[in-house]
Amino acid sequence: MSEVRTLIVDDSSVMRKIVERSLRQAGLEPLVVFEAGSGSDGLEVLKGQQVDLILSDINMPVMDGLEFLRQIRAQNLAPGVPVVMITTESSEEHVKQAIQAGAQGYIRKPFTAEQVKERVLPLLSAA
Amino acid sequence: MLGVRRSAIATARGSGNKEMERTMTCSLRESVHLISDPVNLDASVEEVFRMMLGVDCQRYLGPVGVVEPESVTAVVGFGGILSGACVFRSGATTAIKIAAHMTGMEFTEVDDTVKDGIGEICNMLAGAWKGKVPELAANCGLSVPAVISGRDYNIHVQAPEFKLHHIFNFEGASFEVTIVCDGLQ
Repeated sequence: MSEVRTLIVDDSSVMRKIVERSLRQAGLEPLVVFEAGSGSDGLEVLKGQQVDLILSDINMPVMDGLEFLRQIRAQNLAPGVPVVMITTESSEEHVKQAIQAGAQGYIRKPFTAEQVKERVLPLLSAA
Repeated sequence: MLGVRRSAIATARGSGNKEMERTMTCSLRESVHLISDPVNLDASVEEVFRMMLGVDCQRYLGPVGVVEPESVTAVVGFGGILSGACVFRSGATTAIKIAAHMTGMEFTEVDDTVKDGIGEICNMLAGAWKGKVPELAANCGLSVPAVISGRDYNIHVQAPEFKLHHIFNFEGASFEVTIVCDGLQ
């Protein structure tokens, strides 16, 4: 597999590390990771870097994940790049909101590396 | 804890979704027995620790052991159809052990990464617990976690509607999880 450039957006540095480890366990190697602690930081990364995959938390201070997603689409940043939301919010309503905002996938915390693999790999194959 | 709760209420309202606003008119009063079922809390803790730490964690019903002088407390507020909080509390040694399991790193003290990890554990516990009741999953928001560490402090909640307080054990370490509900719609 060629290099997978991935943006991970989460206000928790521990969660960013766990997501990165899960991606590596899912076989995404070589993996290049860009980290952001909020949606607004994530937008800044996308203005300077090309990525193949975006994983974002929803419930974050400053700019939440749904607004981050809307801004990606509104500013036409990372066109065609799959976005997967990783969040503790798991109701159908939250999933629907994420999909409406432009997410292609949804992973509920807590999660296993196997679940990350199941949700992410098909999106990368299709992209 | 008030700031945490305001943040959760803002999150619950922040979706701006008409469908969600409409369903918020439903009442939890009739399903209070389901919400306060202690089995949901135990299942949530077991699920989070198995999936995120890879350890078996079980409820402990024995006497409370020696309490460490330094402790770490994380609070995640609930807002919307239910207001209250999920509170995680452990000694410093247990907090360090949990953060080490989560990150694969070694820690010698309760630093920012340990506090971040404990905040996330509390966030996932709160999310898993409310996810057990469909009305709560859809109509109750979570705040971002607040984490307190140190010695000689107490968390006080005035006259809650109901409260669940359980002690759990994993690999010889113990911690407490409390669900406090001070308002139901």
